[in-house]
Amino acid sequence: MIELYGVSKKYGQFREALYDVSFRIASGEFVFLTGPSGAGKSTLLRLLFLEEEPTEGQILVNGRNIGVLPDSQVPYLRRTMGVVFQDFKLIARKTIFENISFVQNVLGLARAEQKRRAYHVLKRVGLQHQMNAFPDELSGGEQQRVAIARAIVNEPTLLLADEPTGNLDPVLSEEIMRLFVEINIRGTTVLVATHDLELIRRMGKRTLTLERGRLHDPDRPREIAPIVREAPFLPVS
Amino acid sequence: MAVRPRYVFSEAWSVARSSPRQTIAAIALIAVALYVPGLLALLSRNLGRLAVSEAGDAPSVVVTLQPETDARALATRLAQDGRIRTVRIVGSEAALARFRRAYPDIGAALSDLKEAPFPPSLEVILKPSAARGTAIEIAGTARQWQGVESAESEEEFARRFRDAVRLVRSAGLFLGAVLTLAAILSVASAVRLALDLHREEVGIMRLMGATEGAIRAPFWLYATAEGLIGGSLALGLLYGTFRLAAHWLSRNPHPVLAIFWTSFLSAPTALILPAAGAAAGLAGSLLSLGRKHARQATRIA
Repeated sequence: MIELYGVSKKYGQFREALYDVSFRIASGEFVFLTGPSGAGKSTLLRLLFLEEEPTEGQILVNGRNIGVLPDSQVPYLRRTMGVVFQDFKLIARKTIFENISFVQNVLGLARAEQKRRAYHVLKRVGLQHQMNAFPDELSGGEQQRVAIARAIVNEPTLLLADEPTGNLDPVLSEEIMRLFVEINIRGTTVLVATHDLELIRRMGKRTLTLERGRLHDPDRPREIAPIVREAPFLPVS
Repeated sequence: MAVRPRYVFSEAWSVARSSPRQTIAAIALIAVALYVPGLLALLSRNLGRLAVSEAGDAPSVVVTLQPETDARALATRLAQDGRIRTVRIVGSEAALARFRRAYPDIGAALSDLKEAPFPPSLEVILKPSAARGTAIEIAGTARQWQGVESAESEEEFARRFRDAVRLVRSAGLFLGAVLTLAAILSVASAVRLALDLHREEVGIMRLMGATEGAIRAPFWLYATAEGLIGGSLALGLLYGTFRLAAHWLSRNPHPVLAIFWTSFLSAPTALILPAAGAAAGLAGSLLSLGRKHARQATRIA
């Protein structure tokens, strides 16, 4: 599902956010990415959803080298991923329904179908009654659940979460994690970046640890794969 | 993949509502920017009508006759000159009718006169190959003839008049270019501001897989509509000015001012204003949104 081979990321000449990071995450896995603040967790996630490009190394998602994707194909790749952030990143002027069905709206999906899908995902996170509310009217935990609903509405194969419980109390964090597990059980690969070691301990999932941009992981691949140049992603309907 | 038009329109409306002051300022600037050259175009059009007579070419020599003179005989005599292309006979009634058509408001004031106020005249049009000074020479000769009240060469006046019209047009074009550039920059800054207000949203849209077209189309539409409204407003203002001036002149006839407010712009010329506004708006948005940059969710340009 996700393969990193010797990935490094430098900002400027001296600031090294990631150094020679290699790992594999199989399809359907639930993995935590942890490490102290500034260890490179967010940088790694940004590389995965193509917010940034690595200085060195290759990243393969579903066997495709995302480093060679042309800019025009990036949105189509992103539609196969769901991303959840610590600060939710909901659009304040749009209702919960509009936030969730944004991409379908852009693509011209029938409104009835948009509503059906939005209702379905909101039901999964227990917020189906808040379709017409605005983000500001919801609590932090509810906003994060909306963000998760938005991330999974396109039925992504990969769900990335960057400190999704950073702004939540332990009870809500637990609730959010249960949602991630549920999503994972349905077949979505989940990668959650967090520095909450207690939460990781309770969940008992595989954990990748970053420290000063270096990965402490026992299952690093021995061979560096050759550069994979494949056809770009086809548009997703 | 095509972007849904309804989405583009609703987002463009939302962009406009997010910064109403800047939107209004940009529309106002576009309106002013297009009103000024529009006004000069209107003035030069009315001035230009004088340079070209109804029959076509402006005469180079006007020979005013005494009332009893045989105009046809004098016209035949003039036409024998090889440098002359046409000699037009303009009778008193025809001159009055022409004046009324050109200046309906002032012309109406002449309807009560018992006798025709304009004497008969001959309008001499030279061949294009005629040398400079020919008109003066012909006028000098005609002045000696019996039955001729006066003969004036219009050549120098016509040349100066054409130069004046050309100057007004050039000034209009220059001012239009400068003000349109200012309008484009104004739209660009309005779009940039709207973009700043929506920066976070744009980032989120990118993360959710929105294409560059889906992100930019509402801004393009917003700016183009801004320009179109500004251009239409300029046209409305211009027409309002024209109607106001015509109304004022109908109550206070003025022989010189009336020249400038005889007729409005032709429909194709008038439609250039909204079209130019829309083009300026689109240019401003293209200038503001810059080149494509699809990767970074936190940047649009």
